[in-house]
Amino acid sequence: MAYSDKVVDHYENPRNVGTLDKSSTEVGTGLVGAPECGDVMRLQIKVNPETQVIEDAKFKTFGCGSAIASSSLATEWVKGKTVAEALTISNTDIVKELALPPVKIHCSVLAEDAIRAAIGDWKKKNGSAEAEPALASVSV
Amino acid sequence: MTYFEIFHLPPKLGLDTAALEKQFYKLSREYHPDRFASKSVEEQNKATEMSSLLNDAYRTLKDPIRRTEYLLELEGIELEEQSVKATAAAREAGKEKKQIVPPDLLEEAFELNMQLEEMKMAKQMGDDDLQLRKDLEAAKANFTAMLDASQKTLEALWQSWDAAVDSGDDGAKDAAKDEMVATLNRRSYLRNLVRDVNAALE
Repeated sequence: MAYSDKVVDHYENPRNVGTLDKSSTEVGTGLVGAPECGDVMRLQIKVNPETQVIEDAKFKTFGCGSAIASSSLATEWVKGKTVAEALTISNTDIVKELALPPVKIHCSVLAEDAIRAAIGDWKKKNGSAEAEPALASVSV
Repeated sequence: MTYFEIFHLPPKLGLDTAALEKQFYKLSREYHPDRFASKSVEEQNKATEMSSLLNDAYRTLKDPIRRTEYLLELEGIELEEQSVKATAAAREAGKEKKQIVPPDLLEEAFELNMQLEEMKMAKQMGDDDLQLRKDLEAAKANFTAMLDASQKTLEALWQSWDAAVDSGDDGAKDAAKDEMVATLNRRSYLRNLVRDVNAALE
């Protein structure tokens, strides 16, 4: 089975590989895993406390090409979005963009879980109460 | 017909692989195509089908990990499907998904992968010194020991499962299933780590 060109591109030139300061209150860290294949993915976001815009995102993934491409794409997509907007990214968007075959869907699921986990961590650090109004204003 | 049924076995995990092999040869002879040469096409086809089912069943049941995975599958545990559904549910509820894998195991697997990558990078830089090799060997021994330990854990869980099947205790069966799933998950990470450390040592 061949990888799509987009997967190969992200795999060979992964965007935003790296680490953000885990202890910063502006940083949320999500660490997720797919037991089906033993992949581990860490995705971090840096959120502007005033605007709730995700200004930076980094990832580190140990896994197959599709898992690396999915997390690389996820960091590209969340950057510039507000936290509330980032929460609307779904794994099916990632599947479509990367043309992932059915056996690799769990990689896209992992990337969505990672975004959600990173945002969850950031919210915990900042108290969910602060994050809620922004969420509400977008979803209305 | 399940793989257990073809061998006339109850759906239990602690099975005698020597007896399984004996039974496999016995049944292989029974379903051998030569014995059906003079029979109707329908019977011949049936025998071929049984013969292939028998081979799949034997390959699956003789391997302790595949046997466990197969039993869990029979019990309706579909890890991947559960995972996809849980993600969709979390998205709709606007909540964080509860990970199937315990966070401490993820941390551990992530850290071990980081160490391994550092060692591999040092090696690529031509820094293949004695200390590095020692570190890799130590990591390999560590991961292998953890993998062996997970096998022991699994074997103990087989006993719990088999005892629960005998006593018809559904609560105990569910508990054993959950723990088997957790152990198999842990194993996936350890298996990858062993594979990667071996590749780094080559």
